[in-house]
This record gives sequence, structure tokens and C-alpha cells, in this order.
Amino acid sequence: MSFTVPIGPYHPALEEPFKLEVTCQGEIVQDATLHVKFNFRGVEWLAQRRNYSQVVGLVERVCGICSDLHTLTFCRAVEQLAGLAVPPRAEYIRVIIAELERLTSHALWAGIAAEVIGFQTLFMTCFGLRERLMDILEIISGNRVHYAMNCIGGVNREIPDPEAVLDSVLWTRQQVEDNLIPIFTTDRTIRARCVGVGVLTKEEAIKWGVVGPTARASGLSADIRRTDPYAAYDQLAFNVPVETSGDVFSRAVVRLREMVESCRMIEQAFKQMPPGPIRGPEFVEVPPGETVARSEAPRGEAFYFVASDGSDVPTRVKIRTPSLVNMPIVRLMVLGASLADVPLINASIDPCYSCTSR
Amino acid sequence: MTNDEEMLAQLGSTIPWEKRSDGCWLESPDTDVEKMAHVMTEAEARLVTMTACEVSNGEFRIIYHWDLEGRMLHIVAVTRKRSISSIAKVHPASDWMEREIHDYFAVQFDGRELPPLYLSPEDSPGIFLNHSRDNHKERKGKER
Repeated sequence: MSFTVPIGPYHPALEEPFKLEVTCQGEIVQDATLHVKFNFRGVEWLAQRRNYSQVVGLVERVCGICSDLHTLTFCRAVEQLAGLAVPPRAEYIRVIIAELERLTSHALWAGIAAEVIGFQTLFMTCFGLRERLMDILEIISGNRVHYAMNCIGGVNREIPDPEAVLDSVLWTRQQVEDNLIPIFTTDRTIRARCVGVGVLTKEEAIKWGVVGPTARASGLSADIRRTDPYAAYDQLAFNVPVETSGDVFSRAVVRLREMVESCRMIEQAFKQMPPGPIRGPEFVEVPPGETVARSEAPRGEAFYFVASDGSDVPTRVKIRTPSLVNMPIVRLMVLGASLADVPLINASIDPCYSCTSR
Repeated sequence: MTNDEEMLAQLGSTIPWEKRSDGCWLESPDTDVEKMAHVMTEAEARLVTMTACEVSNGEFRIIYHWDLEGRMLHIVAVTRKRSISSIAKVHPASDWMEREIHDYFAVQFDGRELPPLYLSPEDSPGIFLNHSRDNHKERKGKER
């Protein structure tokens, strides 16, 4: 006899409101339906009623974890439309903030994964590491979540005390290499919960247009920083970690290896960052036209479409977050899985319901 | 690898690609979107997303943004009576994208059901069709 288990929208184990209706035969999942409407705020509608500078502040609120990536992608789209050149120093600062944000996001994910697995000590280790990263962001921007670093034409502020930031980044890299990666890859409990669980094949990943670490854990190497570089990424040497098993374990390994690469990029960016201004001249107007911009957010490709009629209010702002394309595949990944593995499989794509509903 | 001109022939378009800094654009209102989905799927292109933009006659431009080996291709079709064929059966990645556009603009995607993605079942689709933006611009003009 089959039965349906409604998980959410409000559930003690879930940080964000969503609902997963899981139909089971015994303990084996036969079907699942995902509902994501609970965070809908009409951000695109609001963006089409504010001027360009106001929209920068608005899109920062699409997400509390990858807020910088949203402002970066929107600003890049407007800069393309307006023909604005961003000073080289600002491009490096954009990379540093984006990679710090990726580190905090991946540390958050690793902590939540550890908690879902039941490994509380590892959860505390990951959140301790994240706390230090958030402290760095607070020192730089004054905020732990919404950094307000990007503006149209550059960035709003310099990075104070680069040595202190670099020290923390080196410490983070050491923590990831010496603690997180060895624990995640060798601990028997983690391997038992993650290896071979929630598999997404490469063929399915292509068919469903999956992006980010979830795609790279299924053998796809796409990374916008490499395939369509922006900011100063084309000036930096970095690897794109790829795994082929497509399971929860591979997704963990990809994210942890990405943390090491993010640290490498920040170190290089500080060394290579040229002196000079951090923003261009004030932009006067955005001519009529339309354009797109995309960036590699911690969860994968973020995409913005911006259209202008020449006024100070965009006529269309379309936001496609990585979670929107990654979340439909949760249904595929949980089919045939044990009910007890559903929370971990769902968490393994690092879903953001705030981004998805926006 | 399919080059852009071969792809154009496969799409049956006589309109050339417009090359811009953000990719190649094909503004072809009569695009057979199902055929496009087959061609792009065959080429292993990834559907990045679909954008709907209202045009003056109440119809919508539907822009299909594709990533082909890291390059962006944007193919623009136009709805008729606010309807266009669904490509969800050919390219499943479009499933949520079509549902989202239906929620926002009440565009009908023929050949499939469109359960609401963001709206409650009792809500009517088309929440973005409120034109108060024009009022907003008038108000801003007065403020200056």
C-alpha cells in the first residue's frame, strides 16, 4: 500500500518554506511533487517600477546567501546596455567578494549537509569556518549578508586591510584541505549516507539543463567563469572541479574542491589587483535596448535579462536563478530512494527557495 | 559541432543571426518553436531560460536563451492570441519556465497542462499584466 508524506511548507528540519509531497511504497519513494511558491515576492515586477540604482538594492534581496552575485549580474547587464567600462581594480574587487560569498555559501551547505547526516561536530566545524568568513565580509562591507559592494560602473568601496583578509583566506584554505575534505571523503558515516545516493546521470543533467556544482558532480564541466569569463576571471588561474558519479558524495566533493579554488583565486586577485579608481564616471542614461548577463553563483549560473526604453526605469528585468533549473530534478533523484534519504538528496543540490520564488 | 549557419538552415529561417556582445540573436516571429527545440536538443544546447516581454499589440515576445558550448543563442518567437506551442515534451528543462511565464503573463503554452508554479490554484494567471508602471513613470516625472 502506498502512502503520501507531506514534508513542509513549515517543518522543524527545514530552514526555508517549501513543500515536498513524497509518495512511498513502504520506505521506497515512488513519486514526489515539489511546491515552491511560498517565498514569491514579485521582485521582477517591483524592478520594473524602480530606477536602475534602486533596482541594484532590490535584486540584492533576491537571496540572502548569493546577494552579491545578483547585484553583480544586474550591474553587468546595465553596464553592457549603457556601454560603461568598469575600472580593472573594481573587476578584481568584484572577484574577491564573489569568491568570499561562494566560500560562505559552500561552508553553509557543508554544515547543513553534516547536520542532515547527523554529524553535529562537523556541522559546528563548518559553521565556525563560515563565521570567520562572514566576519571578513562584515569588515569589508559593514554587513554579513547584503554587502552592497556593486554599483553600476564599478564597486562602492575598497577592501580595507587586505592582509587581514588574506590571512583569513589562507586559514580557510588550510581548514578545508586539512579538515573538511579528509573528513567528508573518508568518514564511514558520511560515505555510507552519500555514496551512490541520489544519483543524477550526465544524460539527465544535460536534458534538464542542470547548472553549477550539481551539474559538475554529474560530469559536466560548464562553469561561466571559464566558458564566458567576466570581471577579472580571465586573468586568474583556477581549476573547475568535476566528478562523474552524480551522487550526493560527488556534489559534496565538488563544492569542497571549489572552496580551495576560491581561496586560490582570492590570493591571486590580491596579488594582481592594479591600483586605480574603483568606479567609472556617473552613468547618465541607459539607451533603449536589451541585453543579457550571466555569472557563476555558488549554486550555478545566474542569468539576467534587462530591457530599456531609454528612461530611468527598466522595462523588463528577468531573473533566472540557478535553483530554478536545479530544483525540478529533485523528483528524479528521489525516485527509488529511501524516504530517510530524501532530506539529504534535496539538500545536496543546495536549493534556495528564496532565489527560486523571488 | 553545428555551426551557426547550419543551425539557421535547420531552423528553416531566412533571417540571419544578429551578432551582439551578449550572443547571437534571431528575431524571427514565426519561428516553429517545436522544431527549434528538436534542433537545439540534437545539438546538445542547454536551455538557459525563457523570457517573456509584452509587445504593443498585447502579444508577447518569447525569447529562448540557449547555451551552445558556452556561446549564447537567443531565438525570439511571438505569441498569437497569447498562445505558443509548448516545448516541454521535447526539452523538459522548459517545464518550470513555461509555467512561470503562464503565472506571470497568462501566456498559454499549447499541448500541455500548466499547473501554477507560484500562484495558488484559486488565483488567476497574469499577475504581471498590471500596467501601473506607466503611472509610476508619470509620477516620477512630476516629482522632478
